Amino acid sequence: MTTYVLRRIGVGVGLVLLVLTLIFLALHLVPGDPAMLLLSQGDGGSATPDAVARVREQLGLDQPLLTQYWQFLSGALTGDLGESFRNGQAVSEAIGERLPRTLELVGLATLIAVVVGVPWGALAARKGGWFDSVTSVLTSIGVALPVFVFGSLLVLLFSLELGLLPAGGFTEWGDDPGRHAQLLIMPAIALAVGFASTIARMTRSAVLEMLHQDWVRTARSLGLSRRTVFRKYVLRNSLNPVVTTVGIGVGTLLGSTVLVEKVFSYPGLSSLLVDAVTARDYPVVQGVVITIAVLFVSINIIVDVLYGVLDPRVRR
Amino acid sequence: MRTSLTSRLRAAARPRTAALTAAAVASMTLAACGGGSGSSGEAGTLRFGLSAEPVTLTTGVWQGSATNFVLTLIHRGLMTLDEDGELVPGLAASVDTPDPTTYVFTLHEGLTFSDGSPLTATNVKNSLEYYANPDNGSTLIAGLQDIASITADSDTQVTVTLEAPNNAFLEFLAVPTAAIVPDASLNADTPNIVGAGPFEIEEQNEGVGMTLAKFDGFYDADDVALDEIDVAYYPDGDARANALVSGDVDMIDYVTWENFDRVGDTDGVELAAQPGPFQYVQFNVTDGPFADPLVREAVAYAINRDNALTAAFQSNGQPLEGVVTSNDPALEGLGDELWTYDPDRAKELLAEAGYPDGFSATLLATSQYTFLQDTALSVQQDLQAVGIDVTLDAPDWSGRLEKGAAGDYDLAVSGDVGIVTNPIYLLSFVQGPDNFNRSFGYANEEIAASLTDGLRATDDETRAAAYEEAFDLFATDVPFASIDTRDQAWAYSDDVEGFSNLPGFHTFFSGYTLANTSIER
Repeated sequence: MTTYVLRRIGVGVGLVLLVLTLIFLALHLVPGDPAMLLLSQGDGGSATPDAVARVREQLGLDQPLLTQYWQFLSGALTGDLGESFRNGQAVSEAIGERLPRTLELVGLATLIAVVVGVPWGALAARKGGWFDSVTSVLTSIGVALPVFVFGSLLVLLFSLELGLLPAGGFTEWGDDPGRHAQLLIMPAIALAVGFASTIARMTRSAVLEMLHQDWVRTARSLGLSRRTVFRKYVLRNSLNPVVTTVGIGVGTLLGSTVLVEKVFSYPGLSSLLVDAVTARDYPVVQGVVITIAVLFVSINIIVDVLYGVLDPRVRR
Repeated sequence: MRTSLTSRLRAAARPRTAALTAAAVASMTLAACGGGSGSSGEAGTLRFGLSAEPVTLTTGVWQGSATNFVLTLIHRGLMTLDEDGELVPGLAASVDTPDPTTYVFTLHEGLTFSDGSPLTATNVKNSLEYYANPDNGSTLIAGLQDIASITADSDTQVTVTLEAPNNAFLEFLAVPTAAIVPDASLNADTPNIVGAGPFEIEEQNEGVGMTLAKFDGFYDADDVALDEIDVAYYPDGDARANALVSGDVDMIDYVTWENFDRVGDTDGVELAAQPGPFQYVQFNVTDGPFADPLVREAVAYAINRDNALTAAFQSNGQPLEGVVTSNDPALEGLGDELWTYDPDRAKELLAEAGYPDGFSATLLATSQYTFLQDTALSVQQDLQAVGIDVTLDAPDWSGRLEKGAAGDYDLAVSGDVGIVTNPIYLLSFVQGPDNFNRSFGYANEEIAASLTDGLRATDDETRAAAYEEAFDLFATDVPFASIDTRDQAWAYSDDVEGFSNLPGFHTFFSGYTLANTSIER
């Protein structure tokens, strides 16, 4: 088991280094000058070439690409991710502020998705009939419905029509726990709907496949009740693909909550990344991508290890 | 059997019903905890939804409208703008002009910066000298380049002498980036957050917002009604409008045009719109067809401005057939009708220029700002109609800037605003180094000379004559082809009193009027 875990960690570290290099190259290949952007925000006035050159020098963008890469790499390896071009904030500090918010959002969305999706899919597979058909229709809609559409519908209903919840924004837990929770609930539900539908569909097909295994019939013929067979054996054996889906889904959500963050003006990691890409804020983009890569790889390692726990054959 | 199925369904439904009930109860409880949709806010606190997070404030540098908004709150210059957009003294209690090149500013007594240090005539001298130095990246150069000397006559009196008359000088001093700041802020590295404006920054929360508190050292502090401005960032236009309509905030800037009707029709909400920035087509004149003024003029006649306005701004704006002169009474009727929509005239001009069958060209826009892309699509159709086969190039804003600055286009669609309303703002379109939003390779010293003559004029008649000459040259040489001016709107709850959306280019400086804004809940 230890060798198995170490092998997975080794692959993970390699992947992160690869991502680190690719993102650096990609950023510098994409057209756009951060200095010019900084001096050309909105209407009114445009910077002189001299002023742009001065800012480029201040930001270290006049250095050869290899020098910039080395500075970035050595900084990243020592935990120094640099400072934002836009507001001078340390990138690690910005990520430290934003990551917990996104983790909280993704965590709550995942919790809702798993709590709803797994029982829903399992029930659909077990009951079949009209319940299964309705589940198929609803989960198809859930998967197909764009998150910004569902989010906007939530805002329309709960904020603009009923006036029950704020339309968006963010308040720190420490400042006002009630409002913090209010501001979290709609984005989390908007994010959870598609995810819960995917989990329900995956659970349903996995359970259905398991229910048709010979050993299920054997277990029943040995006198175990339908409920016991289902809960103790069928569901557990069906969970491997569901765990994979959840693992990949959580990793994807970490980097793709941007639409929900935009709709609800929720200042998470994804909106930081997108804004930084738009502004060519290289240190922030690089820092966020590294963080997401590390998290993604870590989650996948955890999932791989969980496989090993759930099914010892995987470890071989 | 039926009973059994029913009971099983009921049993299966029970946990779900319970879960739904729990969720509903939780939602209602949350709503109750936080006081419903938006917390109603405290008396004296204005909750403001701002369209962008300001970047680090750099002294003297123009950094966009969100940053300017903050500058109007925490800083003041010698001059400022009143609720009608009229130029009035700011930190200066009075301004005397003994002759057209001498300005004597007498400061209010006992001025201090928000860090507690005194604001003296020496600070004024040092700030203005910093802004007048081209090495410091200030966009005020056009207004301050004529300064011959600045003398601190006493702690509260400064005399500025110009090399030549400059009738835009005082207006440049009212631009938010012309604020008087402590000497320690006069560099590119120190964040420009210490000022002598009506508010001071109390707290900044990156990505979330900032809190500004009333600054008691402001010269007009007795008239500042707000104790606090609680700014939250809402970069998305719909989310910003939702925040106002749902009552989460009391006021927002930059209402997007598709939200004008929704916000304006909401009970208890005021929409204040003013014609602001202008859109235009710029040219690469280094070679090819657009090096010929006749072809540029043909483009100016080919544009259906009403269509462009509808496509990009849902008709919230005005067609622009000339240049913006900001309703200056002395310039009334000048420069506002240089080119009409006349496709036949456009075809004649193209034929005269040697392109009777038209030609192909690329039109640079951007995918990042929908209104510029929609404007470009409208222009593309218009040019197609007169025989110019236009291919659209719409990179993101960063790509647009780079291509614009490098001249990597034939035509481009832009939007801009003068930092002053004085027509001298047009000088940067006909003189100076190339940049992303002026015609690449274009220069016209004759127009520049006329504009400068207008700037130097000391009476309205001479000024009007000089600008008329400049605009006549504009009509035939076409440094850019105007399209329209777009409405720029702020919106606020009925509870807000005293705010004014300043007219014309000054719309972006409307934050000045928050010094005299109050809120009654």
